[in-house]
Amino acid sequence: MNTKHIMKEYDYLKPSGLDEALQILSEKEKVKIYAGGTDLIVKLKMETVPDMDYMMDINGIEELKQVEYTDEGVRIGANRKLWDIETDQRMTSLFPALTDAVKAMAAISVRNLASIGGNFCNASPVADAVGPVMCYGGTLEIASARGVRKVPAKDFFLAPGVTVLEKDEMLTGIFIPTPKGDVGHAFTKMARTKSDIAKLSLCVALARDGGRIGHIAMSMGAVAARPLFLEEISAGLAGKEMSESLAMETGEAVSGFLQPIDDNRTTAVYRKDVTKTMVADALALAWARSGGA
Amino acid sequence: MKKNLKLIGNPVPRHDALAKAKGEQLYSDDWVMPNMLYGKVLRSKYPAAILRGIDTSKAEALPGVHAVLTAKDVPHNEDISKFGQMRDVGGGFEGLYKVLATGKIRSKSEAIALVAAETEELCEEACKLIEVDYEPTEGVYDPREALKDGAYLVSSEDASNRIMRSKIECGDIDAAWAQCDAIVEGDYFTTPHEHAYIETEGGMGWLDENGVITLRVGVQVLEHYRTVAKIMGLQHTKVRNMSVPMGGGFGGKEDITVETYLALLVTKTRRPVKMIWSREESLETHAKRHPEYLHYKTGATKDGKILAQEVSIVMDGGSYTYLTPWVQMYSTYAAAGPYNTPNVSIVSESAFTNNTFSSANRGFGGPQVNFAHERQMDKLAQKLGLSPVELRRRNLMHNGDPLPTGFIPQGHNALPELLEKVDKALNASPKPERLPDGRKVGRSIACAHTVYGRLTFMHDSSRVSIRLELDGSVTLRAGVPDLGGGQASSLCQIVAEELGLDITDVHPYIMDTHLTPLSGTTTATRQLYMSGNAALKCAGVMKGRLMETASGILGYPVSNLAMGDHKIYLVNDPAVNIPFVKAVANLSNDGGELETITQFNAPFTEVPDLSNIKGQLNPDLTYTCHGVEVAVDEETGEFEILRIIAAIDAGKMINKNSCEGQVEGGAIYHVFWPTHEDLKWEKGITRANSFSTYIMPTAADVPDVETIILESGGGLGPYGAKGVGEPSDNSIAPAVVNAIRDAIGTDLNLNLMPVTPEKILNAIRGVDMEH
Repeated sequence: MNTKHIMKEYDYLKPSGLDEALQILSEKEKVKIYAGGTDLIVKLKMETVPDMDYMMDINGIEELKQVEYTDEGVRIGANRKLWDIETDQRMTSLFPALTDAVKAMAAISVRNLASIGGNFCNASPVADAVGPVMCYGGTLEIASARGVRKVPAKDFFLAPGVTVLEKDEMLTGIFIPTPKGDVGHAFTKMARTKSDIAKLSLCVALARDGGRIGHIAMSMGAVAARPLFLEEISAGLAGKEMSESLAMETGEAVSGFLQPIDDNRTTAVYRKDVTKTMVADALALAWARSGGA
Repeated sequence: MKKNLKLIGNPVPRHDALAKAKGEQLYSDDWVMPNMLYGKVLRSKYPAAILRGIDTSKAEALPGVHAVLTAKDVPHNEDISKFGQMRDVGGGFEGLYKVLATGKIRSKSEAIALVAAETEELCEEACKLIEVDYEPTEGVYDPREALKDGAYLVSSEDASNRIMRSKIECGDIDAAWAQCDAIVEGDYFTTPHEHAYIETEGGMGWLDENGVITLRVGVQVLEHYRTVAKIMGLQHTKVRNMSVPMGGGFGGKEDITVETYLALLVTKTRRPVKMIWSREESLETHAKRHPEYLHYKTGATKDGKILAQEVSIVMDGGSYTYLTPWVQMYSTYAAAGPYNTPNVSIVSESAFTNNTFSSANRGFGGPQVNFAHERQMDKLAQKLGLSPVELRRRNLMHNGDPLPTGFIPQGHNALPELLEKVDKALNASPKPERLPDGRKVGRSIACAHTVYGRLTFMHDSSRVSIRLELDGSVTLRAGVPDLGGGQASSLCQIVAEELGLDITDVHPYIMDTHLTPLSGTTTATRQLYMSGNAALKCAGVMKGRLMETASGILGYPVSNLAMGDHKIYLVNDPAVNIPFVKAVANLSNDGGELETITQFNAPFTEVPDLSNIKGQLNPDLTYTCHGVEVAVDEETGEFEILRIIAAIDAGKMINKNSCEGQVEGGAIYHVFWPTHEDLKWEKGITRANSFSTYIMPTAADVPDVETIILESGGGLGPYGAKGVGEPSDNSIAPAVVNAIRDAIGTDLNLNLMPVTPEKILNAIRGVDMEH
């Protein structure tokens, strides 16, 4: 391995519209999509992209970079750059956990290039932006020359690096519904340094129902083979009266549920251990942000 | 000392600042030549093996490949490692330098073959086609194991893995323990440390029209051209390095890098060859700071007077000797810390292992022992019931106090003052137990004494030349490798100051082995001290000539004249003057010498007896003190650095910007060394071989550094300056760990690097992970 250069030979394509891009995907084999390149180029240099005859650069397709707000929610183009998301005031006021997650990613130079869709399609179990989208009940818009389908964000991931995308499909947009009611959100991340990928990440999005938890969704990164949506544990909290002991019990429950691994960033034991505090703190923080006492 | 300095101490822009800011500086990889080839090194697949054979035929047959070289193609494959010294030191200090592998493979970084081809991609392919017959062997990866009888022998050439053993003793250590009321003992380990310069090793080589091997390689030691000549069997006049500014060095470019490889490839192909190492190659191949295993036993009376310090050090030298013996001298010399200690015993040993070799890294053996002795100080303070600051206050060396070798440092020792200043700054407000968010707060202060200038038994010298131009500007020439510290610009500032000019009137031509005077290495924090003094001396000679000339014109004795504002004037009546340029013209018209070269010599001593080192080893010391405040999350073990106070006695600042830059950069250089920076060595393999896995702080991880720079005027450099480059990174590492200790209230798990949040969390819970 020599990361000074890319040893693989490939053809470079740059469609100017979505239809052209989808046509390329349906006609050609072994196409990889280049959005920000912050994962793809690194992998090419490290020779871990086995099948690529074509690199399709989607940066000429304007509609993939757009953001659109409606009463129902926001639609973010898949190739919207992270920097444009984190500096979007409206995004921050509606979906603070998402902008907190994006700000927690990498360094500014990387966030200038990287796209939110890339964070999904790279399908790393550590992907920071994924948790908030799952917790907000986001839906992914997937297009091909055959048509468009919608998939809940929580169902998008199959395994490390593997998603539900078919070979002729691409992620074109992310829809996130506007949270309703007394909502509170929290994203927290532990990493060795600010620009490092997560040892652990956690997202909580809840709607308060007086002194009780109304709806709640939680997710974690870097604890499983894919971004982990804590569906059952979250569901079990709905309707419960919020208390410090509930927060701590939930931390214990999540920790007990996890089966993380040792890697070069930390250990499985540490992950399970610290999860307890992290969950309890994030739950309390989201609760407080929802206006709960 | 000159009183009214106009330029010295000012924050002047360096001559190369604009080019670097605009991206116009041409670094190693920015240079291209017509018809050039690319070069690559094939390195070992195993950290330990016997090299049974190499078949290069398939690689040679690949179209576009122009050379595949192995050890048999090297005219003189072995030499003694040299580092620019003008004196043969011998005596176990100079080890084997081997260009390409023969016999035993000593590490994964061992160079086995060289390739030159039309493209970098072809080089990669050719390397894959070279068939190497290895017999993998067990190897040894811990120097303590390597020193045992019957250990695996790392090299084919030596009968033992021991590189060097050295000892410093004073007083009677055995008798001293009985008088101690408190004794603390501790084991410490310091990790290998990466320099992490932005620019990896590399450069370009070609044969000039007269057959001279010409290199354009950024290095800290220009004098490696002599080694290249010896390897090639050529006269020293036939190898030239034009050199080029480096994108950082920090000691990692003190050892020879690509020079011999380029010389061999250009000689074989007779075409220009460029070789640039990838980041992975750089991280796996170049030297690291020596990992050290240290044992300390420190004793004091109940009123806090240190009586005894017993230290044993085992250093991992890795695969080849390189600078290990020199680094070892620094570790041994500094091991007792900057404290008056009447009874001292320091024994150090270094050993070969099958790890990447260890060599110079900013601080050069100082930071390892500093980490250990400053950890000891805080433990001792705890045991005595004294504050760590008070214990230091009671024991710090003052002017006139001897080091354990008996030598009394000659320059000023400002440590007592530095300690008070940092204490005042750090504790300006009482330490809160916790932050509002619940995290515990810890504070700590650590001290260090760090040498500047090379070991005096190397008989160091430097040369600088200046030439007066007929328009009144000045050309300065010096073989000063500039690694970004502003080494060359400071020389211009000194010359401009002395001649009463602006800094823009003096332009430096630097670092060409055969067209600039050899100024010695940019290592050992020596350039300002050595070449600065040479420049000062050189300017003085030229000033004398100009003053004589002006004296003749103005009709006043030289003693009544001064230089300034581009004039030579009568001190009592500045209206009586002649312009500087007119004095130059007269000097020229009269056949005076407009060009001069001067040499400055450091103090010279004899090679010490390693079994009982006495006396002077270095010219002088620079003193530093770091204060750190941290917040520790007791539920996760995570910590945040809240404040860094970096204090130093610079003697005299030459360029304020450069000096502050060194002090800030030095602090950040080591702030995460004890906790985050981890190469993850596993049996000779560097697992963290990229900057995504070797974790360093960015601006987002550290606070602004609060600098306190004293100017005592008590250094041996020009205007009383001391060296600051390496001292700046000493004493921060123990301050970080001691601050964590202050927050969590235990010494558990804080002694063997890396001190990770995982270990801190266990320490808080009382779980020992170090035994």
